[in-house]
Amino acid sequence: MLALAPLLAVTVIAVAAVALRAGQARQRRHLVGHVVGVSAERPSILYFSGAACTVCHTAQRPALERLAPELEGRVEVREIDVAEQPALARSFKVMSLPTTVVVDAGGRARAVNAGFASAALLRTQLRDAGLLPVAEGSAA
Amino acid sequence: MGAVPFDRSVLKVNQVILMAGLAAGYLVSLARPLAAIALPLFAAMMLHGAAVPPQSLPRVLYLKVLKPRGLVRPRVAIEDPAPHRFAQLVGGVFLAAGSVLALAGLYVAAWTLGWIVIALAFLNFAFDVCVGCIMYAQLVRAGVLPQRRSAA
Repeated sequence: MLALAPLLAVTVIAVAAVALRAGQARQRRHLVGHVVGVSAERPSILYFSGAACTVCHTAQRPALERLAPELEGRVEVREIDVAEQPALARSFKVMSLPTTVVVDAGGRARAVNAGFASAALLRTQLRDAGLLPVAEGSAA
Repeated sequence: MGAVPFDRSVLKVNQVILMAGLAAGYLVSLARPLAAIALPLFAAMMLHGAAVPPQSLPRVLYLKVLKPRGLVRPRVAIEDPAPHRFAQLVGGVFLAAGSVLALAGLYVAAWTLGWIVIALAFLNFAFDVCVGCIMYAQLVRAGVLPQRRSAA
């Protein structure tokens, strides 16, 4: 029976991971295609972050910085610290950090990424939403 | 405390010691259940490290032996050490709970908790996915843990 312990542990972690995935899917259904109540004069990327989020500092922010030259004047990046704005984080059902939400000029969420989103993925989402010209930009 | 220069190699050393020690303890316990003594030993290491980080055994080993001899290179990042400390506390609590279960003779449940800690340490070691840090962020967001100023 003791030999089953690693299997049981992996099962527990797998169930937790599936529950987290389901939560993220609910978050996407809740947001994508809906007006999300952020004032938007131009398209934006809402970037939910926090001091406790290692991936935010080591990966997500550098990815956004790589993308910044292509976004200049077209798409605004708004960083939101979930500890400082917990109500906003709750309204976006943020379950993991980083989370990025692509919002068009009408305030409608066009894409949601729970977890790290590469510059290439964000660029594709912006282009698919018609918020960034297809011809511009370079490969990530 | 906020973000400060933080050597992630200390975490890696901690994770390697934890994974190797617990896995060895588990393998021995398949033949000799008394090897479950590994659970309270590593629980003590984790809880002590969370309570007094400068004196944690992996940190001392890294700073006194591994780093000076060039066996492990520093990986300094600017980040808040509090989530990692919380993650260590969670690991210690899991192992302490496993120790209680082992004392009660519930070895399968005890080592299931031990293997959860091994798996989470591996995730952090190999992929920098710190589940305890994610829990920390969620608890801060929910207002359970005190709000800290972001140094981001």
